Amino acid sequence: MSGVRGLLWLSRRECLRVTRLWTQTVLAPVVASILFIVVFGLSLGSRIREIDGHDYQLFIVPGLIAMAMVQAAYNNTSSSVFQARQDRYINDLLSAPMHPWQLNLGYTVGGVVRALAIGVSLAALALPVTGIRIEQPLVLAAAVVLGVVIFSALGTIVGIFADTFDNHTFVSNIVILPLVFLGGVFYSIESLPSPWQELTHFNPLFYLVNAIRYGFLGTSDVSVALSLGVTAALAVPMYAWAQWLFMSGRRLKA
Amino acid sequence: MLMKPAPALELRGLSKRYDDGTVALESLDLTVPDGAFFGLLGPNGAGKTTLISAVCNLIRVTAGEVLVFGEPAESLSARRAVGLSEQDINLDRFLTVEETLVYHGGWFGMGRKEAHARAAEMIEIFDLNQKGKVRTPKLSGGMRRRLLLARALMHRPRLVILDEPTAGVDFELRLELWRYIRRLHEQGTTILLTTHYLEEAETLCQEIALIRAGRLIARDSADGLREHYAAASLEDVYVKAMGV
Repeated sequence: MSGVRGLLWLSRRECLRVTRLWTQTVLAPVVASILFIVVFGLSLGSRIREIDGHDYQLFIVPGLIAMAMVQAAYNNTSSSVFQARQDRYINDLLSAPMHPWQLNLGYTVGGVVRALAIGVSLAALALPVTGIRIEQPLVLAAAVVLGVVIFSALGTIVGIFADTFDNHTFVSNIVILPLVFLGGVFYSIESLPSPWQELTHFNPLFYLVNAIRYGFLGTSDVSVALSLGVTAALAVPMYAWAQWLFMSGRRLKA
Repeated sequence: MLMKPAPALELRGLSKRYDDGTVALESLDLTVPDGAFFGLLGPNGAGKTTLISAVCNLIRVTAGEVLVFGEPAESLSARRAVGLSEQDINLDRFLTVEETLVYHGGWFGMGRKEAHARAAEMIEIFDLNQKGKVRTPKLSGGMRRRLLLARALMHRPRLVILDEPTAGVDFELRLELWRYIRRLHEQGTTILLTTHYLEEAETLCQEIALIRAGRLIARDSADGLREHYAAASLEDVYVKAMGV
């Protein structure tokens, strides 16, 4: 099929960017998340009662992995697309014989690879520290794929719309981070008073965190079908929006 | 009966109005024959870069049609046939010189072996041997300009578009680039060149089109233009045509 080689080279370029900047793209988020596990889990964990039948240090690991992965997926595509636009080397891609879906997928691959590198590293490091296991591998795989696709696509969209680098960091710090924190990374919503418990159900990240938690621990605040359903319902339009931007050329072509 | 070969470039009623209302091109018709060395001259804002962007799928045209060797410009086969060296330096800061060429070859469908072999060839031709492993932000202005041209030619395009390729380069490099572009044309590649240097257009181009305010105002050889405008030099032609 036409353009497949272009897609493979673009995916490779995005992966090269991740590996070339590995201290920023992989090491830093892994260290930050491990610090969370150590500080919150090991030092405070002994003072907090079990949540959903799990030690606190175990309970927070899936949410922290989810948080690190979605931020990495978002940061990767948003910064890569924004830099390509800012330095105008995206013209080299836009003029190449590649379909819009290949451009969209190529950038998404970079976000997915970076997120997976972080997720796998974190899980591998958390295993000896907390003894975490994967109880539902298929659910975990589905939740991870949907989650990183949502945030890779969101990154692509922000990278296309951003006028300055501040726009990219604004979404990361003011939108994604609070939503993930309030999505139950560090607590079960059972512990929240009304109306916060009810309001949490309007946070889409709550469903992603719970789907990933169910994959690791086999327990969740809501049904896994609902968690995966909401996550998928967000992934499809988000990816479609990024795809439409590449197809229409909006903000990419004057 | 022999079919007449499709022109390298055919613009029919091409118009571009930007979102801010600026009309950059207005119903512009232009045909560049296959194998031509064609120059586009006009002041800043005349629409030269917009025209090039329309050919290379970099803008959304408002109206009209762009055909490259008979194929719509947005088709993959048309895009494969065009190589563009832009006016501004637009290199990927994460890549080395060699990677810039190899990845460009990749976007245009080359396999790994072919891309590496062709990149080595282009590095040799453009005298970038010492810089192959150097990342693009560390290159001098002249080296970046060479690399832009090498990248445009990497996938062996049949139509090469050079948007002010010698802007800001020293005299020696300009002569060197001229030599290479001429050789490329002799090998059968169609060249579309925009430049502000009138002597560059006169020296290199078989035909020259004058553009002002998004419209084609004249098109002929340098001699033909001088005759038409009763001018002694191309500079005089330019002054008369543009109303400078």
